[in-house]
Amino acid sequence: MRLKALREGEAVLFTLPALVPLMLFWFGPLGYIVYLSFTEWDFMSPEKLFVGLENYTYLLTHADFYQALKVTLLFGFGTVVPIIVGGLALALLMNSKLRSTGLFRAMMFSPWVTPTVAVSIVWSWIFEPDVGLANLVLGWVGISPVGWLQDSTWALVAVMIVTVWKSIGWSMVFYLVALRNLPQDLMEAASIDGAGAWDKFRGITLPLISPTTLFLSIILTIQSLQAYDQINVMTQGGPAGSTRTLLYMYYQSAFESFNVGEASAIAVIIILICVLLSGVSFLLSRRLVHYS
Amino acid sequence: MNLTEAKKMKSRSELSRGRKGDRSRSMLSMSEKIGVAVRYTVLVLISLAMAFPFYWMVTSGLKTNDEIWQFPPTFFPENIHWNNYADAWNAAPFARYMFNSIFVAVSICVIQVINGSMMAYALTHMKFRLKNPFTAMVLIGYMIPSTAVYLPSYMILNNLHLLDSYAGLIISNCVSVFSIFLLRQAFMQVSHELVEAGQLDGASHFRILWTIMSPLIRSSFAVMILITFIDQYNNYFWPMLITKDPDLRLVSAGLRGFFVEGGAYGLAWPQIMAASAFTIAPLLILFVFAQKTIMQSVNMSAGVNKN
Repeated sequence: MRLKALREGEAVLFTLPALVPLMLFWFGPLGYIVYLSFTEWDFMSPEKLFVGLENYTYLLTHADFYQALKVTLLFGFGTVVPIIVGGLALALLMNSKLRSTGLFRAMMFSPWVTPTVAVSIVWSWIFEPDVGLANLVLGWVGISPVGWLQDSTWALVAVMIVTVWKSIGWSMVFYLVALRNLPQDLMEAASIDGAGAWDKFRGITLPLISPTTLFLSIILTIQSLQAYDQINVMTQGGPAGSTRTLLYMYYQSAFESFNVGEASAIAVIIILICVLLSGVSFLLSRRLVHYS
Repeated sequence: MNLTEAKKMKSRSELSRGRKGDRSRSMLSMSEKIGVAVRYTVLVLISLAMAFPFYWMVTSGLKTNDEIWQFPPTFFPENIHWNNYADAWNAAPFARYMFNSIFVAVSICVIQVINGSMMAYALTHMKFRLKNPFTAMVLIGYMIPSTAVYLPSYMILNNLHLLDSYAGLIISNCVSVFSIFLLRQAFMQVSHELVEAGQLDGASHFRILWTIMSPLIRSSFAVMILITFIDQYNNYFWPMLITKDPDLRLVSAGLRGFFVEGGAYGLAWPQIMAASAFTIAPLLILFVFAQKTIMQSVNMSAGVNKN
């Protein structure tokens, strides 16, 4: 009996060095922010005022919130889809019959290791409206220059381009691994049965790599919900709120307007979106995805 | 075409002839050759486009201010001005910023190796009642966006009087769900018999973990350390929130500060590009040397999701 208790104690001791900071900076704050979302506070006043659901009803009845929600969705779709589709296309291009693709792979992957702040600064220069490279390239294909970061229709596109550029090589490497693990005998059997390249892709490759696609979709969506660095450097949410995502709105109302309650309510909504997405992906992985 | 290539071509066309029956051999190898050439060309173009921002950064940092504002831009600087790099380096305490980033990132790596492997070992090779709830907790933690809880984390750090200190920068990042996941995955591959054998010899769990198990999962440690280092060196949002003292800025925040000042005067784009270049350089160098290990992280984090 004593021995068993001792063993329990030892195991708990092993978990403590990770458990304490995990509670302090991860799960503790998670509970705390739910509480804060029911209060009104400005970092200064001695008392936090309990206001119930007021922060939520305020958000849900104001256009700012829906604008940020819209930008978040646009940014999510506009980055996750190209990163996944583009990554798969690059992996397919590289996978078959080509030799010595190591250098190409490294060049495409390299943006992923670099600091977002630094590369966003470089891209800000590329998007400079008068002498920037982006408008020069547009000129080559006969499109008149646009204002990029200063233009409320193009700023979000510019931020998306940087985000896609940074992660597309990363998703490509995921797909290279998945494609390498495809059963070759199955592919050859299909060829013998007369299946064309497109049939094989739709009938075999796509279903067999769906675990990778699902994993990337969920991770990239959670990342897109957390995008901050590139927005902060390139546009700071502007012009006219056209690049203000929910996360950026959360940051501004917490650390610029000191509106703790409203900020917390936005954060809770972001967390709920993540939980919902994770739940959906879990169900999907049970029903649709083929694990080999 | 040299001999080995000719052989390869030959064996390949033989292979395709064998597979596709009687169709003309020269037709097939011709269209195959064109296909390969097209693929290579596309790959070269895309790779160059992907790497071009880095080239643009380095060369823009070598131009004069007059030249950088020319349109259309010059693709190679007319006169090379290395002194932009020296000017930028001296215009802000970048050596200090880099030291901060490296010091904080290395400290975090060391702590995460220790607490991550202890946690992962307990979850895989020890028996205790809270094992399943703890595992579930780690799994859930992976799905929660950490940026969403920055506000309460900031308030907690404030209550601990750890704002504006190295200790705060390190302690608040000293645990990572991703690292625990990765190591748990690695420990699951190691046979539990090793633990039992160690116990029969009278070794404590602590010794078994560090002298028997750890050497076996070296490659997972390498991946975990590299990924953590890259993340922490690049970290911007959280460190910026919890430090106001300019001496404590990590390199991203320092660069951003320099960018805002340079942008306000609207004059110093070559220096800004130069500063971005030497901020990125350590990571690109690290990537060149540890390419394989870094890309391996993909294998391992894909595994993370399956459990």
